[in-house]
Amino acid sequence: MKHPRTHARAVIVCSLFMGVLASLLTAGVASGAERVSIVRLIDQMRKYDGKEITIQGEVIGERMVRGDHAWITVNDDRYSRQNLEEGGQFVGMSNAGMGVWVETPETDPIEFYGVYKNKGDIVTVTGIFHRADPEHGGDTDIHATAVEVVQQGHQVSHPFQYWKLFSVALLSAAIVLLWNVRRERKRKIGRRL
Amino acid sequence: MILRPTREDLKLIGWGIGRVILGIGLIMLIPLAVAVASTEWNVVLDFLVGITACVTFWLIMENTCRVDRDLAWSHGLIVASLGWLVAMLFGAIPHFLSGHFKSYLDACFDLMSGYTTTGLILIQDLDHLGNGTNMWRHLLTYAGGQGIIVIALTFLFAGTAGAFKIYVSEGKEEKLLPNVIRTARAIWMISLTYLVVGSTFLWLGLMKEGLSWTRGGLHAVWLFMGAWSTGGFAPQSLNLLYYHSFLIEIITLVIFVIGSFNFVLHYSVWTRRRPEILKNIEIRSFTITTLVTTFMLSIGFAKFGLYTTLTEFFRKGFYNLASGHTTTGNSTVYATSFFKEFGFIAMWAIIVAMAIGASACSTGGGFKGLRMGILTKSLWGDIKSLVSPESAVVREKVHHVKDIWLDDSLVKGTMLVVISYMVIYGVGGLLGTIYGYNPSVSFFDAVSAGSNTGLSAGLTTPLMPALLKVYYIFEMWAGRLEFISVFALFGMSVALIRGKGRGSRRR
Repeated sequence: MKHPRTHARAVIVCSLFMGVLASLLTAGVASGAERVSIVRLIDQMRKYDGKEITIQGEVIGERMVRGDHAWITVNDDRYSRQNLEEGGQFVGMSNAGMGVWVETPETDPIEFYGVYKNKGDIVTVTGIFHRADPEHGGDTDIHATAVEVVQQGHQVSHPFQYWKLFSVALLSAAIVLLWNVRRERKRKIGRRL
Repeated sequence: MILRPTREDLKLIGWGIGRVILGIGLIMLIPLAVAVASTEWNVVLDFLVGITACVTFWLIMENTCRVDRDLAWSHGLIVASLGWLVAMLFGAIPHFLSGHFKSYLDACFDLMSGYTTTGLILIQDLDHLGNGTNMWRHLLTYAGGQGIIVIALTFLFAGTAGAFKIYVSEGKEEKLLPNVIRTARAIWMISLTYLVVGSTFLWLGLMKEGLSWTRGGLHAVWLFMGAWSTGGFAPQSLNLLYYHSFLIEIITLVIFVIGSFNFVLHYSVWTRRRPEILKNIEIRSFTITTLVTTFMLSIGFAKFGLYTTLTEFFRKGFYNLASGHTTTGNSTVYATSFFKEFGFIAMWAIIVAMAIGASACSTGGGFKGLRMGILTKSLWGDIKSLVSPESAVVREKVHHVKDIWLDDSLVKGTMLVVISYMVIYGVGGLLGTIYGYNPSVSFFDAVSAGSNTGLSAGLTTPLMPALLKVYYIFEMWAGRLEFISVFALFGMSVALIRGKGRGSRRR
């Protein structure tokens, strides 16, 4: 007959094993969702229609709450890594974004939404992609099952551009000069009349 | 014999253009105020540079070009056509300084797109653009919709008899009131009233859809300006798709359809001549062409089978078709969707709608409903003549505020403008095809630029060839001014090079 402590150890080991197996299986489901860039998604809508996919990018604009769900927009382009306000390089395109329909509480951890003054949080979104979503009047979107913040955004500092101030000063001086010339000219014409 | 313009002619044109540029500088005060309120100090500097540059140019023109003569027709035409180009160069200063454009050409492209209420964009990283610059983008399309010359007329040309000549040269032939200055002010009165009402509706709608009251307020004004002017700009890169809102789509649809109507029609309704809506040839023409292209669109959608419900048809099909027909350019789908998700027939339904365009003397572009009406009636008259006895005299008329009898010169003039549009559409489409783009995509974007619509099937990006960018700028400009002023500018250029001096005429 086995000692009760040995039995308890076996139960713990079994539970741990089951736990690891369960998390592996769950991870298996998550990794079953193909990681796709938004540019590729837009380019190959038919291929990914109705499939579970994962995207990663910057949340921009704002959260638009509609009842127990909300819309967020995720941009996955070079500017979502470093935007032009932070000195990012031109890549020859505007932004590549996708609307994500998600349960409102899932968006609570998002702190920064990308705008002129903020770099938005980087999130990973897993969900079903719809080329023409019947629930939302044919919108192209993702119905998210999970949203995770992987990198927090921050406020963007805009160093004061003194060279622009110098240009304003220079042009203002030119205006004063030209205004005086105009006034003199008018005075001369007035005197002649 | 072509006469070379005199030094006085050139001075007069320079003086007129100086006034137009002063007008541009004055408009920049509004985005400057928005930038100050938003504490965007670098954007404030962008506008201060822009304003001081405009004032400097105006003073240079005032000091060097002032002459004691009034503008003649030829001067009016040149001031309008050249004024738009110079206004583009000065208006692009804050755009370029914002750091969101790779080159000055790209900034000029967006400026011309804004002034002409086209809506095509080359701006990069739009989603991180400041409030001040966004206000400038939308304000210039709102101002451009009324006509930048109209602005100058309203404030800066008061009292000159030559004002009417510039007004007409900007593609607006009709006067609401006997005096052209008062007409320009009436256009502003109509537009500002709609601005208040439309923005309020949008603001309430946007707050209902989850935007904060501050961002909702700004987006409401910008969306109104983009829709009313039929420019189609929006503050986010996803355009109307960003909002995922049927309500906002309905409100903007109403705004851009009303915005695409003739100002004369608006004035008639304001002055309680409401039956004009039912009798007007442009409204009739617009209704018929909308029905025909909607029918084409439904066949295309039925064949392709992606958008199957009535709601989907309305939000993805009809909305974009109406946006194209009114030459607005607001969109609820990705640019590539027109090519990949609409199918050939539906895509060409939108191309045809864009090519026809909106009303004359409105903020829209394209052939215009009035011209379509005149040509159709003229063709109908020809058919009636063929089947009538030889002695019968067949005359046709169209109703546009008053009855207009069609004669050869009217039909010929109309045909000249329509053919000019077809030529710029065709050349643009061919140019894109030569560069290796899909022909349907090339024609879609070329027609969109020439008709001042702004929908894109994916060709218009900052990476497109520079020559195409320049050609599209030309298309937007020529299409907006409806060619006559452009012909005048080319004529003057020829006269400058090959014309004979006044002295040789006397000899």
